[in-house]
Amino acid sequence: MGFDFKSSVMWESVPILLIGLKWTILITIFGLAIGFVLGAGSGLLKISRNAFLRKLAGVYIESIRGTPIMVQVMFIYFGLPMALGMRINPMVAGILAIGLNSGAYIAEIVRGSFQSIEPGQAEAGRSIGLSHFQTMYYIIWPQALKRMIPSLGNQFIISLKDTSILVVVGVGELTRTGQEIIASNFRAFEVWITVALMYLVMTLSIAKLLNYIENKMDINK
Amino acid sequence: MIEIKDLIKNFGNLKVLKGINLEITQGEVTVIMGPSGSGKSTLLRCINRLEDITSGTVIVDGHDVMDKKTDINFIRTEAGMVFQQFNLFPHKTALENVTLGLVKVRKKSTPEANILGKKLLEKVGLADKADTYPEHLSGGQKQRVAIARSLAMRPKAMLFDEPTSALDPELVGEVLDVMKQLSCEGMTMVVVTHEMGFAKEVADRVIFMDEGNIIEENTPEKIFTNPQHDRTKAFLKNIL
Ligand SMILES: Nc1ncnc2c1ncn2[C@@H]1O[C@H](COP(=O)(O)OP(=O)(O)OP(=O)(O)O)[C@@H](O)[C@H]1O
Ligand SMILES: [Mg+2]
Repeated sequence: MGFDFKSSVMWESVPILLIGLKWTILITIFGLAIGFVLGAGSGLLKISRNAFLRKLAGVYIESIRGTPIMVQVMFIYFGLPMALGMRINPMVAGILAIGLNSGAYIAEIVRGSFQSIEPGQAEAGRSIGLSHFQTMYYIIWPQALKRMIPSLGNQFIISLKDTSILVVVGVGELTRTGQEIIASNFRAFEVWITVALMYLVMTLSIAKLLNYIENKMDINK
Repeated sequence: MIEIKDLIKNFGNLKVLKGINLEITQGEVTVIMGPSGSGKSTLLRCINRLEDITSGTVIVDGHDVMDKKTDINFIRTEAGMVFQQFNLFPHKTALENVTLGLVKVRKKSTPEANILGKKLLEKVGLADKADTYPEHLSGGQKQRVAIARSLAMRPKAMLFDEPTSALDPELVGEVLDVMKQLSCEGMTMVVVTHEMGFAKEVADRVIFMDEGNIIEENTPEKIFTNPQHDRTKAFLKNIL
C-alpha cells in the first residue's frame, strides 16, 4: 500500500486552519502585552536599589525560567481553579500562561540591556542636573530599548511557538485545529505540513520585520 | 566658590581620599596632577556628588553637597563636569546633547533652547555640526560638544577629568583652546590633566596628589621648576 500525497487536502484544510491561526496570533499578542509589562517591571525591579524588590523579582524570574512551560500551563488551568474555587476560560488561561512565561524572559532581556549601557551615560545625565528618573527616561531607556529589540523579537518568535502547548488545555489555536482536522480526515502528513508551514511563515515574517527595524534604527544612532 | 574640608572617601576598606583640604576661589583655574590611582577623579566626583563622601564637608557656592536639604540636581548644574570618555548621548544629535538639559532641567522652550544651543556650539567651533550624531564626530569634536553641553547649564564652575587623554595628539589642541578661552572669560575651573603646557599657561595653581593626599601645591612656575616633594619630582620627570 503506497502513500499517495494529496495536495488538495492541504488546500482544503487552510480555511479552517486560518481560524486557529487567528487565535494563535491573538493569544501571542495579548500574552506578550502582559509579558512586556511584567518583564519591564520585574526587569527594572531586578536592578533597583531596594534589596527586597530585587529578591521579589528574582523569585518570579527564577521560578518561571526553572520550570517547564507545560507545567505552568497545567498549573494555571487545572491547579489554580482548585485554589480559587472557579473555572478559568482556557483562552484566558493560555494568555496568562504566555504572559507569565514570557515576562520572566523579557525581564532578563530588560535587565541585561539596561546594565549594558555604560555607567558614564547616567553620570553625564546626572551631571547636567537631570533627576534619576529623567536620566532613566531620556538617556538610558532609549538606548537600552534599542539594544533589546533583537532579543525581544526572538522572544516574540519563541512565545508564538509556545502557544502550541496550549493544545493540552484545549484552546482552539493552530495546533489544536490541525489535530481536529486530522481526527476527521486522517491525513496527518498533509495537515501537519500545512500547520508547520503556517508557523514558519509567521516566524520568518517576524524575523524579517525585525531585521528591517534594526536596519532602520541604525541610520540614526 | 568650592570649599573642601577634611574630605575622606573610602570604597569599602580602600581609603581613596585621606583628608583633603582645598579652597577654590571664584575665577581660579586649578590643575590637579598625580599618578594613576591617587584619587584625582574621585576628588572631582565628590565635588558634584557623583560619589557620596565618607566624612568631611564639600561646599559648592555656599551649599553643602551632603546636606539633605541641598538639591543635588541643582549642585550638579552649578558645577558642570567634563569626562575623559566624553559620554555624549549617542542617540541625540550634537545640538540635542546641548539642549537636553536646557529643556528638561531649565525648562526652556525648544526653540529658545535651540537658539542657545547653537550659540554654544558656535562658541566651541562646531556650528556646522548641530545635526550630526556623535558617532560621526571626531574625539576632539565630541569633547567640545560635551563642554558645550555642560556650559548650557550656566555652571559657576567646571570640573574637567582628563579631558584630552582619550584624544589623538593632533586633536588635543582644539579642546585645550576652548578651555583656555573659558578661563579667559573668568570661569572657575578644576582640571585634572597632565598637559604641562596648559597648566603653565592657564593654571593659577597646580596641586599634586599622591595616594589620597595633596602633597604639594604651588603656582605652575614654582612647582614645575622647583618641586619640593620627592614624589612630585619623580612624577614630573616621568611626564616630561
Ligand atoms: N567605584 C569604585 N569602587 C571601588 N574602588 C574605586 C571606585 N572608583 C575608584 N576606585 C579606586 O579608587 C582609587 C582612586 O581612583 P581614581 O579614579 O580617583 O584615581 P585617579 O587618580 O583618577 O587615577 P587615574 O589617573 O588612573 O584616572 C583607585 O585605586 C581606584 O581603583
Ligand atoms: Mg581618573
